[in-house]
Amino acid sequence: MIDVALASLIEDMIEKAGADGVVEFWQRVGDNLANRIGKEAYLGWTSFNVAVREGRTAFSIEGDVTPLTDMAITDVDGDVVGYLYAMRQCCYVPTIFRTRFAVGRISPADKAVTAEYNENVHNIAVCNFCVFHERFREEIAKNVTVSGNPLACYLLATRGWSGETKISSKNVVQVNINDDHVRALLRNYECVYALVLRGARIKGER
Amino acid sequence: MPADARMQESNPFVEIATHLFFEDLAGKVGVAGLNNYLVSLAKNLAAAMPAEEYASWSEFVNALREGQSILSTFEEVRPVTDRCMVTLRSPFERGWREYAKRVGSFAPVHREVAAYYNDKVRPTAVTSVHIVLHTFREAAASRVRVGEGAVRYEPVASAWVDGEVQLPDGPKLESLLKRAGISRTRLGMLLRNHSDVWLLEPA
Repeated sequence: MIDVALASLIEDMIEKAGADGVVEFWQRVGDNLANRIGKEAYLGWTSFNVAVREGRTAFSIEGDVTPLTDMAITDVDGDVVGYLYAMRQCCYVPTIFRTRFAVGRISPADKAVTAEYNENVHNIAVCNFCVFHERFREEIAKNVTVSGNPLACYLLATRGWSGETKISSKNVVQVNINDDHVRALLRNYECVYALVLRGARIKGER
Repeated sequence: MPADARMQESNPFVEIATHLFFEDLAGKVGVAGLNNYLVSLAKNLAAAMPAEEYASWSEFVNALREGQSILSTFEEVRPVTDRCMVTLRSPFERGWREYAKRVGSFAPVHREVAAYYNDKVRPTAVTSVHIVLHTFREAAASRVRVGEGAVRYEPVASAWVDGEVQLPDGPKLESLLKRAGISRTRLGMLLRNHSDVWLLEPA
């Protein structure tokens, strides 16, 4: 119920703080949640990816995450410094369905916050919740170490409930992934992101 | 709600984020301000949902039982008498469990805002989400017409996931129980395995 009511709260907040204020709120909530979850450490990528698959990491709070272990990211020395991860279902979709059948329409506040974020922060959001969980993942990544190195998270692509897709031109460049590979992933997944060792010199970085 | 493979009874991750949202909001506007936001969001939610009309009280009670009414959209409602309704499990239970598992103990502000609500509005909230629940039910009930008459909602008792129960004081409780058609003993029995006991009556 609270998840469906969230849109009503955002409507209220837009009136008081504007859509930009709601974006700031969401980002701060992402920081706070990540900080409250705390730190994690893994011996290497294998143990981290097993933990992701088994739903044991902080990233698992969002739902089922699939490590795409065939899509490794390598550094200039050819060492694996990261992987792509994907969710079959956007974590906000169940709420959209519940809203559809309880209320009847998705609040315009959702679109207002999404548009504000896409225009002024990062053109990747397909719903207001993307604002929160992009920041949440970025902060969580800092608290997770693999082989003693903290991670960095790059949100690469999203697919919304209505089929709209977004690919982050700036982040696909950061991790040297071809747009077409990411686009192909969006046929099966609704949210694709990369986790890499923070500070790694990625091979072919454009 | 219609059955759908992608449909779930709640969305714990979004609920956790929303709880954090409340906590952040309380830091900006204080406990009284948060209370106002919670009341407002519940009213807005009910106002956004379609109004309802029923030919008779029994048709209305049947719609509640079948999950067809605005008042049973988010919870499984079982009528105990014509007026007394119970909710089997709190609609916030999954979110609370997930919060406790992934984040830790609830921030004190959730109880503080409930205490404020109990003091200023009515003594029936254990935690912040009860403010939303009670306000929503009250606003939703006002959107229902049975025959030509309106419907009034009043909470009788709320039991939170940790077992804490919030009840009105003596004479007020006796009046509610009488109107609901249950005894004090029956209320105690219901609260063993139900999250909420509430009253619906013609206004």
